[in-house]
Amino acid sequence: MADKQATIYIVDVGKSMGQKRHFRQKTDLEYALEYVWDRITTTISNGRKTDMIGVVGLRTDASDNHLAKEEGYENISILSPIQQFLMSHVRELEESLHPSNTDEGDGIAALILAIDMIIKHCKKLKYKKNIVFVTNGTGGFDTDDIHTVIDGFKEENINLTVLGVDFDDPEYGYKEENKPAYKAENEKKLSDLVEAVDGAFGTMAQAVEEMGTPRLKTVRPVASYKGKLTLGDPTKYDSAFAIDVERYPRTMVAKPVSASRYVVTEQSTDGESAPTMTATEETPASELQAVRHARTYQIESEDVSGGKMEIEKEEMAKGYKYGRTVVPISQADEAIAVMETEPSMDIVGFIPADKYKRYYHMSTTNVIVAQKGNGMAAIALSSLIRALYELDSYALVRFVKRKNDAPVMMVLAPEIGADFECLIDVQVPFLEDVRPYRFPPLGTVKTVKGQTLDKHRNIPTDEMNKLMSDYVDSMDLSEWGKDDDDESAEYAPIDSTFSPIIHRINQVIKHRAIHPKDPLPEPYPVLTKYSHPPEDLVKKSQAHLEKLINACDVKKVEAKVKNKKRKREQPKPISVFDLEAILESTSGNKKAISLENSIPEFRQKLGSLESEAEFRDLGTQMFSHAKKLITTSLADINYGRACEIIRAVREEFLEYDFAEMYNSLLRDLKKDIVEKKLDGDRTGMWWTIRKFSLGLITKDEADGSEVTEEQAKDFLKL
Amino acid sequence: MSHSKEWTPKDDEIVEEEEDEDVSRYTDQKDAILFAIHVSPSMLAEHPDEDEDARKKTSAPSSAVRTALECAYSVLQSRIISNPNDLMGIILFGTEQARFAGGSFEHIYQVMDLDVPEAGAIRELKTLLEDEAAFDELMVPCDKSQVSIPNVLFAANQIFTTRAPNFQSRKLFLITDDDDPHAKDKPLKQSAITRARDLYDLGVQIDPFFMSNPGKKGKFDTTKFYDDIIYKTADDEDDDRPLPLTGRGTTKLKEMITSIRSKATPKRAQFSTTLEIGPGLSIGVKGYILFKKQEKGRSHYIWTSGEKAQIVQGSTTMTTAGEDGEDVILGPKAQFKKAYKFGGEQIVFSDEEMKAMRDFGPPTIRIIGFKPAAAVDFTHNVKPAQFLYPDEKDYIGSTRTFTALHNKLLESNRVAQVWAITRRNSSPAVCYLYPSEEIVDPASGRQLQPPGFFMIHRPFADDIRQNPEVPPNPAPSALTDRMRAIVKQLHMPKAYVPEKYENPSLQWHYRILQAIALEDEVPDTPVDRTLPNYKAINKHAGELVLEWGDQLQASAASVTVQVLPEKPKRGTKRVKGEGDDAAAAPPPKAKKVKETAGTDVRALWEKGQLAKCTVVVLKEFLAANGLSTSGKKADLLERCEEFFETK
Repeated sequence: MADKQATIYIVDVGKSMGQKRHFRQKTDLEYALEYVWDRITTTISNGRKTDMIGVVGLRTDASDNHLAKEEGYENISILSPIQQFLMSHVRELEESLHPSNTDEGDGIAALILAIDMIIKHCKKLKYKKNIVFVTNGTGGFDTDDIHTVIDGFKEENINLTVLGVDFDDPEYGYKEENKPAYKAENEKKLSDLVEAVDGAFGTMAQAVEEMGTPRLKTVRPVASYKGKLTLGDPTKYDSAFAIDVERYPRTMVAKPVSASRYVVTEQSTDGESAPTMTATEETPASELQAVRHARTYQIESEDVSGGKMEIEKEEMAKGYKYGRTVVPISQADEAIAVMETEPSMDIVGFIPADKYKRYYHMSTTNVIVAQKGNGMAAIALSSLIRALYELDSYALVRFVKRKNDAPVMMVLAPEIGADFECLIDVQVPFLEDVRPYRFPPLGTVKTVKGQTLDKHRNIPTDEMNKLMSDYVDSMDLSEWGKDDDDESAEYAPIDSTFSPIIHRINQVIKHRAIHPKDPLPEPYPVLTKYSHPPEDLVKKSQAHLEKLINACDVKKVEAKVKNKKRKREQPKPISVFDLEAILESTSGNKKAISLENSIPEFRQKLGSLESEAEFRDLGTQMFSHAKKLITTSLADINYGRACEIIRAVREEFLEYDFAEMYNSLLRDLKKDIVEKKLDGDRTGMWWTIRKFSLGLITKDEADGSEVTEEQAKDFLKL
Repeated sequence: MSHSKEWTPKDDEIVEEEEDEDVSRYTDQKDAILFAIHVSPSMLAEHPDEDEDARKKTSAPSSAVRTALECAYSVLQSRIISNPNDLMGIILFGTEQARFAGGSFEHIYQVMDLDVPEAGAIRELKTLLEDEAAFDELMVPCDKSQVSIPNVLFAANQIFTTRAPNFQSRKLFLITDDDDPHAKDKPLKQSAITRARDLYDLGVQIDPFFMSNPGKKGKFDTTKFYDDIIYKTADDEDDDRPLPLTGRGTTKLKEMITSIRSKATPKRAQFSTTLEIGPGLSIGVKGYILFKKQEKGRSHYIWTSGEKAQIVQGSTTMTTAGEDGEDVILGPKAQFKKAYKFGGEQIVFSDEEMKAMRDFGPPTIRIIGFKPAAAVDFTHNVKPAQFLYPDEKDYIGSTRTFTALHNKLLESNRVAQVWAITRRNSSPAVCYLYPSEEIVDPASGRQLQPPGFFMIHRPFADDIRQNPEVPPNPAPSALTDRMRAIVKQLHMPKAYVPEKYENPSLQWHYRILQAIALEDEVPDTPVDRTLPNYKAINKHAGELVLEWGDQLQASAASVTVQVLPEKPKRGTKRVKGEGDDAAAAPPPKAKKVKETAGTDVRALWEKGQLAKCTVVVLKEFLAANGLSTSGKKADLLERCEEFFETK
């Protein structure tokens, strides 16, 4: 569990904080608060009761603090005692954080007050203690008693952060021009103090700029397996070894916070139950109520009207499906259906690293280290890690995490760092996990006759290969980044790529909490930094890219062009045998389309049609088959077949540019369904049509249509 | 009464987001495969299995028909696991007997109706394979002149039309050894040609499986008849499908199964999007899932009080707390809002805002630059890689451009770093495109590695966990040397081959289900190919392990081992040296843990004060004994009780 934490923010709200400086749109206070709110909302979002916040106002009009009786503590107010911060506190605090009408009030006294608050609150308990001080450094700072302040920080082990508006910071590279002498002096006093207590001192601009940089949550490592790594069977053979190991996650996908669903409840307007809180319009939450899910259970039954019978939970048993058959599993069967296993990590053998396919990685990875405190296990495991490392090999193991868990296959790779070594495990696929897809080769093309071509529109020319090579070489990232020492390093390393979704959602929640009426803010740049190639690199490789684009000559296919191929090629079997002649003689164009073989006959006839009337006739025949299938359908048994007929007509008429013809046939069918002309209620058929998206052809799909997307959507409703 | 321990089936959970595959929306996303097996004297002739290991003579002589049926049975079993909702059927043609639901076709016998397999039909198939009398009774070929291919094709047409309407994928596996069935009957041949075209127009693909029969002269000659029957699909990607396999003799069952299994699974893309190689250069690509953890089928609530066991349908009603505390069912007019819990309240967003905050732009896979392949770290993984292959549909020239990039990355051993949003509203990911070169097994023609890019998802900084605190304890080189000898000795030169490792737990689960469904005897031991070959390990490395064990004792004595201060030092291994007596050997570790961890808990249990244990202690205890640590304290307590009671 994370440590308890208490953080006090000292916010300078003096009159001078209300000024706007250096062409900023914001007052000094607004500027400083941007940072303070970000920190506070970050704390709120972790939702921990033990992460507490207190707020002290400096240069306030009032002198509302428990030391105010003493001299020197005027114009300092405790705006919030140390407590878990909630939204109501945020709203209260917002009310009180405005520039005051005074510039009186001593910054050092505010620090003493904050230390006192921490001492009183934390007592001798284990807390992480912080004071964050934001100011523009224009007020008074009485350093006569500064050593007691320094002692206070040291004794209580409090981290101090001072952030000043327009403070000079050579490291960050900021220097305020024409700084008044008293401000410079204040900055000096504060930075000396910070240095004496080993705190952090910085300029507000940097703090605001780095606000978007996510603070990563650290998760205490929790072992997912504590057991043995064995080679051989210790129960059967003397020559087996077992090393005590522990396994901890190395990677684990962090998930964004999830939203819950609420129902908006009717607000009574008669005023009877008017909320007692003052800020009525600011309490959007009060009208939301949590939604719960209740499950009910039914079975299909012909004895009950509606065909569904409610079942009580007690009447249900557990089962599985084997194909179409429902297999009830009794408690006893359940026990056998689970393969019995013992927790273990069993070495199967060792594999050369260069023969391992990196794309076999199926899972997150874990580190395996020796059992804590077990020195012998440590050197035993180390010998394995080092042997694997030296031989450039991995270990293949069979792993069972817990009793009766399913075994998995894992590959273990050695990792040796400066003062940490371990094995890294990852799951690899079983036979059943592999999908046996086959893909045509790239770079060669085989003709129908089996000839192999090396020149083809799908094969790059030597020139394309050359230009691609130049382009790739010009876009190398391996040294495009900068490390901490400004040396060139890998661009976009893992530790600077943050999960965009997690931090984006956190960002908008925090923003909305403070600015309930504002639109969503833009994502922090750090979240999308690696969504595009670095601009300077793109510029550098521009010439290569242009040549490559020319050579490759990629053409986008326009949506509508795709459909148009009026005169289409007839499909041919491998022998390229032309069977149009036979087709014409056997099927005979005059004959009507049969129901049983409707789709092939329909498609085969289209090629020889000439007039629009003939198309219309054919379409009508198809639709009447569909209607007949619907009419004779026992429940929904024929719906799929009817849909297939409709789909065939849709596809072909779209291709032959008779969109309106299809649309009118479909309208007619819908009418029949609505009017219950197809043997009663056939709404199910319409939902099936909808499910397969067999609605009207829109004008986006074909020029012949006048139907808009919107109309097509409406049409699908009943 | 507490229901907390009650079992809840998997499908009873409300799943918000599921990774669906990108499929054509106009059709039913289901597949149907139909086997059509030719029954003729030559197909029924028994030949010894021509295995390379002919000397072993383990397998009994088998006929082509039997092999084909065994293959169908095996494909059926694997599809029940991998494609539980898909249809499969088997017909025989050329039989004296006829059986056909909903029509009359002579000399066609429907062994299994095209449907999701059901216990009765499976049992029938199994009986056919196991009961020789039943097999012989059915397998009486009719006269050759009575076999009509047009009839077979039309029967298939009718089966697909009625049983698998509007399916996305329909395949007919035609298994025969007769390369010219209608040599003397031209009209029949023409009729077959048109019937084949009908199937093509219906969208049914014929996948032939031709057998060169040793009992016949010459090889199977497709030009005589079948080249007029078989169509290559218009689908660009498939146009290099391997030509129909010509089995030698009775094709080896395994080969046939592999081939049919790979053909039976239609290649479905998970997404199709653009690959932006540089600003202004985009091509079309499709993404495929080639590796996915195959899980057990979900469990269901069922109702057994009726005639037949029935699956219970669950439906969810949304409710909210009413004024009197009772749950109130929300009507269709209820207005919902999504909100995040924050600081004791809810932060509300409109639906548009919920969408907008997750929107990082339209789908694309954008290359931001290139890195050496070594940048793809072993540890940096979170899920299975996807596979990218070019797609000409929206961008003409995609394949050649993709290929040029593929060539370059392979040749220079580099990877591309990409920002990937593969589908609308999906979260952005940072991935590497890792080129893979096509590898084909020269013997079987099977593709061992596809040409294209594997898209390997990189973890974000947020996904990396810190290391546990362990002091470094490097092994002395003498010990490492001993271990190196062991590693060398147990070297597996072929590395990891997934095909060799069936998932034992998954297979066991379905074997039990099948046994119950077919009312067979329940098998007693699972087949587990994942277990190490202990005997071989002992034989090849036994001596070396003992040497390592001795060295470990010696090293441990001479090296100062760093341990975390407060923890007691413990022994490590259970290697029993030859000469060592029990006293000198380190105490066997495993037992010790159990006992020390167990005593306190056990003592409390004996006193009936188990409840005094904290959750942490209980969990540790359960974990140490290999039991589940999930659930509330009550669950943990119960599990502990059970443990002691059974001990």
